[in-house]
Amino acid sequence: MIRASRRTGLVFFPAFDWAISPSHPEREERLLYTQDQVLEEGLLDVEGIVEYRVRPARFEDIQRVHVCVPDENAVTTESHLISAGGCLVAADAVLRGQVESAFALVRPPGHHAMRVVHGNRGFCNINNEAVMIEYIRETYGIRRVAIVDTDCHHGDGTQDIYWHDPDTLFISIHQDGRTLYPGSGFPQEAGGPNAEGMTVNIPLPPHTGEDGFLYVMESFVMPLLEKFEPELVVNSAGQDNHFNDPITNMNFSARGYAALNARLRPDIAVLEGGYAVENALPYVNVGIIMAMAGLDTSCVKEPNYDREYRPQPPEITRYIEELVGRLRGLFLEGGLKRGSWEEGQVAQRSRDIYYDTDQIQERQHEKIRCCKSCAGALSIASTSNRGQNVLAVHIPMGACKACRDIGLAWFEEARRGAFTHVYLQDRTRGVYEGT
Amino acid sequence: MILGLDVGGTQTDAVLIDKGTVVSATKAPTTEDLLGTLRTALENTLGDVEPHRLERMSFSTTMATNAIVEDRLDDTGMIVSAGPGMDPAWFSVGPSYHVVEGSLDHQGFEAKPLDRAAVLEAAASIHKKGIEVLGLVSKFSVRNPTHEFQAADWVGRSFSHVAMGHRVSGALNFPRRIATTYLNAALYGLHQRFSNALLRILTEKNLSGPRYLLKPDGGTIDLEKSVDWPARTAQSGPAASVMGALALDGCKGATLILDVGGTTTDMSVVLDGIPLLKPFGIRLGPYRTLIRSLLTHSVGIGGDSEVRMETDGSLRIGPVRRGKPVALGGPAPTPTDAMIALDLLNVGDRNAARAAMDKVGGSAGLGRIATAERVLETMAESIAASAGAFIYDINARPVYTIHEVLADRRIEPDSVLIIGGPAPQIARYVEKALDLPCRVPHHYGVANAVGAAVARVTSEITLQADTQRGSVVIPESGVEERIDAGFNMEKAIELGRAVLGRQAAGVGADEGDMAISITEKQAFAMIRGYSRTGLNIRLRMGITPGLIPEWERRSRS
Repeated sequence: MIRASRRTGLVFFPAFDWAISPSHPEREERLLYTQDQVLEEGLLDVEGIVEYRVRPARFEDIQRVHVCVPDENAVTTESHLISAGGCLVAADAVLRGQVESAFALVRPPGHHAMRVVHGNRGFCNINNEAVMIEYIRETYGIRRVAIVDTDCHHGDGTQDIYWHDPDTLFISIHQDGRTLYPGSGFPQEAGGPNAEGMTVNIPLPPHTGEDGFLYVMESFVMPLLEKFEPELVVNSAGQDNHFNDPITNMNFSARGYAALNARLRPDIAVLEGGYAVENALPYVNVGIIMAMAGLDTSCVKEPNYDREYRPQPPEITRYIEELVGRLRGLFLEGGLKRGSWEEGQVAQRSRDIYYDTDQIQERQHEKIRCCKSCAGALSIASTSNRGQNVLAVHIPMGACKACRDIGLAWFEEARRGAFTHVYLQDRTRGVYEGT
Repeated sequence: MILGLDVGGTQTDAVLIDKGTVVSATKAPTTEDLLGTLRTALENTLGDVEPHRLERMSFSTTMATNAIVEDRLDDTGMIVSAGPGMDPAWFSVGPSYHVVEGSLDHQGFEAKPLDRAAVLEAAASIHKKGIEVLGLVSKFSVRNPTHEFQAADWVGRSFSHVAMGHRVSGALNFPRRIATTYLNAALYGLHQRFSNALLRILTEKNLSGPRYLLKPDGGTIDLEKSVDWPARTAQSGPAASVMGALALDGCKGATLILDVGGTTTDMSVVLDGIPLLKPFGIRLGPYRTLIRSLLTHSVGIGGDSEVRMETDGSLRIGPVRRGKPVALGGPAPTPTDAMIALDLLNVGDRNAARAAMDKVGGSAGLGRIATAERVLETMAESIAASAGAFIYDINARPVYTIHEVLADRRIEPDSVLIIGGPAPQIARYVEKALDLPCRVPHHYGVANAVGAAVARVTSEITLQADTQRGSVVIPESGVEERIDAGFNMEKAIELGRAVLGRQAAGVGADEGDMAISITEKQAFAMIRGYSRTGLNIRLRMGITPGLIPEWERRSRS
């Protein structure tokens, strides 16, 4: 009998009856071979690996995080609710102490979904990790959370949702945005005025291999986590850094993912992207599950590894060492330049957001109240080429009285304005209103 | 006439059925001599019935189970090839287990050729230990059995028996495939000697009708054709009870079946006449296998369980059984004593039973009648709590499609059927504890033997077609064929029916009367780049557990 040295929960939801479109990478077949490999390995028979049944998330769970335009029904399907719900099941298993850690192997993914959702961006509608983390905060009273996003694409949705939150450390390790969708995720993107240094982007050059990823983990990510002292570590476990992945240019491997996971030891891992459905996902997922359970992963290897895995070229190694040196300077050694915000000042930014899957153009204008005692009241005005012109006010958990008051005032003012819809997401009272 | 015989741990039950009616039922103690027990039970039941009147006989025996539990298996060599994943050394079984290089991927493509020199070397080392039975297993052999065939070709002739992994089941699970293949090989000789001896007894008694053995999935297999699948006959007792319950009652709706025995209570669920199956396969001793089995759960509470009063005034029943009830000369009070004390049962020494109840309740200041009532209430409550957990676990099983999540078909029993010796005495208490209507069928005491008698032959196949690879494989039957891009679900079902028909006939099914059902059916478009390159079809079909037509017809008329 094989026994896991760490009790591990597994929530597997391959959504065998859902696809974005028949030939889309996000299709029925995506986790078929992963399931084959997991079953053939006999992983579900390992003593201490427990499989859980998914449940759909409720709109209430979604509304803690998202403002869906015009409403939840318009931008979610059952599959999104079940995928997010699978993460809630994983969270319950860990936080109730049934398992030490859990892996939500669910699809569709979520890390490109921002707070305001007009449709599907980068295969994502609902941010599974954020829905899970806010559920955990609400249900289990946890505050300090770190998210380490190891998907090959910048986790711009998660970054957007936690941009202003001083209690969430968001670290994204991804292929350099100059060479890949969504084109963002540079070191200078470091968080809003109330959360400077809480967003950390690590753009790695194409062809980064096992050595590069593990070096970044060891010499930067782990020290950063130690400094932050999170109560909970979440891994957005995208698998498209793999050398077999068809839509990226990285050089990672199943063994590398297993080693990364063993080093990071996330409390909860959530599957994100990864589209080498036959020759990467089965091995990477087996490697992650085994690593979480504390099993020896030295036999986990892609059949074409010896033939096709290319070790990292020396110039890439030098580039990464130099990058890590700069990042350490910024985030560990106090080099990050902070804005000269004054308490009570309202900072503003505008940006354009493109929804590649649904071809929606969104323009956002954001206002945040600079605040030393909470995450700050936030107002987002958003227009789209679909004729939407909405305003959403977010009052964060634990908001101070001044931020609560100004948030409510913004909301009242917007209600009298010419918006198609106005939303209030008041986390202090657990209220969500949309008109 | 039909004969059914179930060898239990302590008792062997036999019934004789004529035109849908149980005409004789006998019980005899099970002894260490299994063949002797079978012979005695046969003689007792048949009495002076003329042998030619017996059209069919069916046995649920403990040969394989006992051999596994008592570790009396034949020495068996194993040669295993794996590839990436869990370390195959972790799955070592038997006295001579060898891992060789060679691997297939999940689609069945060869990732690394099988190492011929290593296979030969492993075989030599197995021979050197004087071992004559061999098991061959490769990872993903159910997708492509080539490596197992190659190894058999290279070294198989020098062994007296070779078992191959892909034949035991089409399901994916390499460690279980290894264990199941090992058990089939290691039980081969024992089972052959046993079935020959049983055949001699039957021949000696001029019993020449078809003979079957019961399997844990509630189906039967022809005795003479069971030779390659001895492990499939292990642990058939709980299935005998479920099939008996089904035969005696029909089990409409969602029925919870409780088989209350001396030491344990076995529970299972039947939905509209169809018993639920375990998701992977049965566990035999330390071995998790791919052998299909009904979903049953056993709890250590029975009529002969020990009853204790705890210091906090609560009653505890089981899981220990000290022996017979006090009323029958046993050492410790039991629920059976409570039934005797309450005059629910008229056996043994009633005064001794009452004295036993006095002793149990004394410390808590309870009278004998109140104590006896509390014993039976507690017994029913404990069974109800276990049943609740059993049903909860069934409903917590994962599902993998949106359709299943939304359908959310939870199982909630709407009635309870109780069988086993103490069934009528305990029914009223269980009814109260579970708050569900309880029934006790006729012949509740020998339902297991009835189940063995009237269960039909079952057989199952797993078909996997991959038009990109250009092959369809049905591992259980050793079928592997080339297919072209035009292969589709319709053709898969047609092929599956034909192969299943042959396979089922090969284990004793009546070709004219096969109730084939499709248990799993999935098709996935395979996309590489952005274009469709193939179709991946997964199909499971089988003759599922059910009753022989003779019983169904006669009991209906």
